[in-house]
Amino acid sequence: MKNDRYFKVLVVLAVIGLVLGSFGVIKTLLYGKHATDLGSYVPWGLWVAVYLFFLGLTAGAFLITILTYVFRVKIFAPIGPLSAFTVLVAIVCEVIIISFDLGHFARAYRFLINPGWYSMIFWMVVFTNAMIVIYALECYFLLRKDLVQWSKEEGRPGQWLYRFLSFGKTEFTEEDEIADHRRVRTLSILSLPVGLIFYGLNGAIFAILLNRPLWNGALTPLLFIVTALLSGGALITLLTYLFRIDDALVHYLGHVVRFLLVVFLFLQFVQFFVGYRTALPITRASLDIIAFGPYWWVFWVVHLLLGSAIPLYLLAAHHTSAKAVAWACFLIVITFIAVRLNFVIPDQAVYKLEGLEATFYHHRLRTTEYFPNLTEWLVSLWVFSLGMLAFLLGSRWLPVIAAGKGEEAHV
Amino acid sequence: MSKDLPTEDLLIRMQRDLKRTQKKKPEEVRWGMVIDIAKCIGCHACTVACVAENKLPPGVVYRVVLEEEVGQYPAVRRRFVPRPCVHCQNPPCTKVCPVTATYKTEQGAVIVRYERCIGCRYCLVACPYAARTSDFREWYTANTPELEGRILGRQGAAKGYELHPAAEYGQKWPERNGGSPVGNARKCHFCLHRLQVGMLPACVTSCVGRATIFGDRTDPNSLVFEMLGSPRIFRLKEELGTQPSVYYLK
Repeated sequence: MKNDRYFKVLVVLAVIGLVLGSFGVIKTLLYGKHATDLGSYVPWGLWVAVYLFFLGLTAGAFLITILTYVFRVKIFAPIGPLSAFTVLVAIVCEVIIISFDLGHFARAYRFLINPGWYSMIFWMVVFTNAMIVIYALECYFLLRKDLVQWSKEEGRPGQWLYRFLSFGKTEFTEEDEIADHRRVRTLSILSLPVGLIFYGLNGAIFAILLNRPLWNGALTPLLFIVTALLSGGALITLLTYLFRIDDALVHYLGHVVRFLLVVFLFLQFVQFFVGYRTALPITRASLDIIAFGPYWWVFWVVHLLLGSAIPLYLLAAHHTSAKAVAWACFLIVITFIAVRLNFVIPDQAVYKLEGLEATFYHHRLRTTEYFPNLTEWLVSLWVFSLGMLAFLLGSRWLPVIAAGKGEEAHV
Repeated sequence: MSKDLPTEDLLIRMQRDLKRTQKKKPEEVRWGMVIDIAKCIGCHACTVACVAENKLPPGVVYRVVLEEEVGQYPAVRRRFVPRPCVHCQNPPCTKVCPVTATYKTEQGAVIVRYERCIGCRYCLVACPYAARTSDFREWYTANTPELEGRILGRQGAAKGYELHPAAEYGQKWPERNGGSPVGNARKCHFCLHRLQVGMLPACVTSCVGRATIFGDRTDPNSLVFEMLGSPRIFRLKEELGTQPSVYYLK
């Protein structure tokens, strides 16, 4: 972090977020889904959108570790350990938020004893766990050298932690270093197919559903991979700038983000063009909700203006300025929740049978009335704050930046 | 005087069909339903009967009656389409369940194992007929004052009706709190608990127009089999290939 003051401010904000968010968490734990504004016709809401948001954040870091340790692109090496750590934090947040969304979280063990082999969600759980294991190990092997060194430094704060994480290892030889980098490379190679399946699979959860005009189709898994790389790439670029790792690297990453943003906007245009030209009533109705519905400003102002047009301008016209690139990436990251909300909700917000809206009146049986309530926002805030705090403390107390220095030599 | 009535109520015929079905091996039975929309008067009695039979809480409904307007003024008509779970023979909802909590029985009914359901609601999203609802722990008596003594307060009122769930799937469920069926996906199950004891589903017996026909669609002597031969037969969203076990007569 460039400035220690920023670090402290962010930690305080995260703690405030945790305290405020805990009201929503407690309410959810006490009353379950009753505490939400979800219903049977819009059964997936803000928490699923936040889940997808975190999913995206993991992808950029995934891209960096793959490029660094599989394809040996040296320029990304300094942010390799930071990237692996980011994946780990984001993926844990992803698991936490989606756990809140379950009606019976205590039955999560059912995934083990009654696996639904045909279910995309079952495989999502399998691959999420695989990603956590891969990145936890990768992160550890990238940091171990520095952990051992820090555990020996007398007077270093938190020495007990480094001793604990070193698992009693006091000497770190050159052979150990070579062995650890071999392990990191093996894990990165393994993470390539696992990660691609993981991101595509999350798209497939939606893509395979019948009668879901915006979700159903081969474009969705591809869109998921691109959107994930875009939001994740933007986050890594922002972090590279904030941690003052290398401004040249920020410029390089800025080009990548600009390319991904253009590809994403093109795919989104294709989705709208095909949807409107096909003119199926339910497809048009879903697209109309995005573009002209009660939350039209989420699409036009938050996503297209703040999250796309301004970043694109900054990335194109001011690509030489690391600060401008960082601002562009910051805007992309924070507005990406709008993209996720506009993916998750509009498709559900259209009644799938004519006359369904007039059959049985109850607020849990409406589509247009869903808007995340305070509890849903507070739980989301709690998870965001937890993730931010874990990331801030981890980046301060673990050698995620230090381990990246001179990393090019090992790639 | 003849023992047979000059005309027979369809319910008596279906009841007779059901008795015959009970003598068959379970794996030889395939439940089916035919709804004659020309006979449906839109009274919603089936919806109410289903809610009462299964003690459904607010926001949970298994069988709704859709009201459709056909044509344009002045040549406009209204028609009613009751929509239970259509019990697809190729159900999209069972395939998406990550813990195999929902499945198709060998008699063709799609049901939920409440004790296994984790409440991810993927099946709700996957159902093209919006036939599943989630139990969000709503109470009819939520706003009833908490009073004890002579006046029947919330506890008394709730205990009389909604505190004890119905014996769905022929099981006794615990008092409604956080456990199943709260938090679960819930759906029409063709009143399996009634079928087990030789009773027709509640929506069938409550239909004043006798628009809902139920029985074993593999039994050539059954009324439902007879109806399936009608040229008026159709199924909802046939193009999706879900092959519903609930048929309609135009």
